[in-house]
Amino acid sequence: MAITYDVIRQAACDLYGWSLKKVPDDTLDALAAARLTETNPTSQRTLDFMQAAARAAESEDRHACSDAGFPTYFVKIGTKLTLDGDIRRAFVDGFAELVDTIQPPILKFITHPLTMERSYKGKDMPIVSFDVIDGADYMEITCSPKALGSGRWADLKIFSYPKIAEIEAYFMECVLAAGSQHCPPVIIGMGIGGSFDHAAKMAKQATLRKIGSKHADPMIAEMEERLLVAVNKTGFGPMGTGGDTTALAVHVDYAHGHGFVPVAVCFNCWINRRTAVRIDNDGKVTRLE
Amino acid sequence: MNSAPTEPLRLTLPLSVETARSLKVGDMVLLDGEVTVTAGFATHERMIAALAKGEPLPIDLRGEAFFHMGSNCREENGKWLPNYVNPTTSTRFNAFMPTLVRELGLTSVGGKGGMGAECVAALKEMGCVYFSMPGGASPLLSNGAEERLETGWDDLIEQFRLSRYRLNGFGPVTVAIDAHGNSLYEDLQQAAVSRLPDILKELEATRLASGTNSTR
Repeated sequence: MAITYDVIRQAACDLYGWSLKKVPDDTLDALAAARLTETNPTSQRTLDFMQAAARAAESEDRHACSDAGFPTYFVKIGTKLTLDGDIRRAFVDGFAELVDTIQPPILKFITHPLTMERSYKGKDMPIVSFDVIDGADYMEITCSPKALGSGRWADLKIFSYPKIAEIEAYFMECVLAAGSQHCPPVIIGMGIGGSFDHAAKMAKQATLRKIGSKHADPMIAEMEERLLVAVNKTGFGPMGTGGDTTALAVHVDYAHGHGFVPVAVCFNCWINRRTAVRIDNDGKVTRLE
Repeated sequence: MNSAPTEPLRLTLPLSVETARSLKVGDMVLLDGEVTVTAGFATHERMIAALAKGEPLPIDLRGEAFFHMGSNCREENGKWLPNYVNPTTSTRFNAFMPTLVRELGLTSVGGKGGMGAECVAALKEMGCVYFSMPGGASPLLSNGAEERLETGWDDLIEQFRLSRYRLNGFGPVTVAIDAHGNSLYEDLQQAAVSRLPDILKELEATRLASGTNSTR
């Protein structure tokens, strides 16, 4: 028994395809809850429109957004499973297969960072991160497409022995810099500590957490709660045209480090595209979301 | 900030300057008529270069509607029908839009996220409004785009070409910058900046109440 190249290629293809045509259930629930508390009439209408569009994407098999961005995959490999075949290549080929088969087709979004040339493939595309799950005999893959609309507003700053007030003020600085432009209401991730690269990864992974979930550490859970209240006092609102709902969730994670403290903040737009599967050692694929 | 909207207005593109000037920020509008769209940075550069040389654009945009939008179409019975359309971030084109609005006499522009202060000034000067469309709501928004009538600069990738669409009940879209110098985005940004000191104070108060030591 082993998880083969073919199984992973197909999963990589499916995960990206599914993510483009469905808004996750937790996100739909959060939009519905926001609609109930939103007091701004224009925003109420915008939230209604968003929910109806999200339902149509799923029921009519249509793209939620015209911008498919590029896929990012987070792969967690159980240490007790067996792999058979080229796993990195399976993701590259799965992405290529999706490009070849999805209807309606996606546009060219893969962009050379210097020449701005566009294609359907490129260096390090798709973005794949690997981690392990000790003792597990299965694999979990999460796919989260990323595009310019919310991707460009991510930020990272290195502090030296910061006070919590400074970290939270920086977080609000990032929120104001993005303002109306990241297709709110957004999901915001913040990674605190560790190293430069680890903080960014924590922030990104924090956006993938289910809305409504709380961080296990009460100090962080409280920070998430008060920062969400703070963001929603800014007034940018759905689609940034004013209202009470600028964020659906703030998710924070931290890591121990040294005296220098990297703080990374990133955003996911309201469609919050995210899918996940679990693959057992016998190759059985279970869709998690 | 907004009065309660009743039903959206229904207007046909291109707007006359008078109609554009009659709109105010927060108005919601369903659009009919014709609009030219692109999502391309390179396209804007070409447009500016063509205007500078006095060359015609492949689609005549004088007095027209011009939106920041990506799109994809299929051919059916000799017609190009949209698979999907969706707005893109307008601030990316801040450097180009004042010139395009002024030289082409555009009466409506659109996209998502708004445009900068120089664009707001150009809109006021010329009598042009900015429509905000919901991003990520492509299935419903696309239902209001009936047919792609023509394209220009076909050497560019599909979403970068100038593409002219016929709309039917497109939206509702929100007037987010009007032709009188009012911008929802500037107002909201200023409001957020002015609220920030209080927001930070409340964060501090909440931290203290929860026993989180912020001073160490």
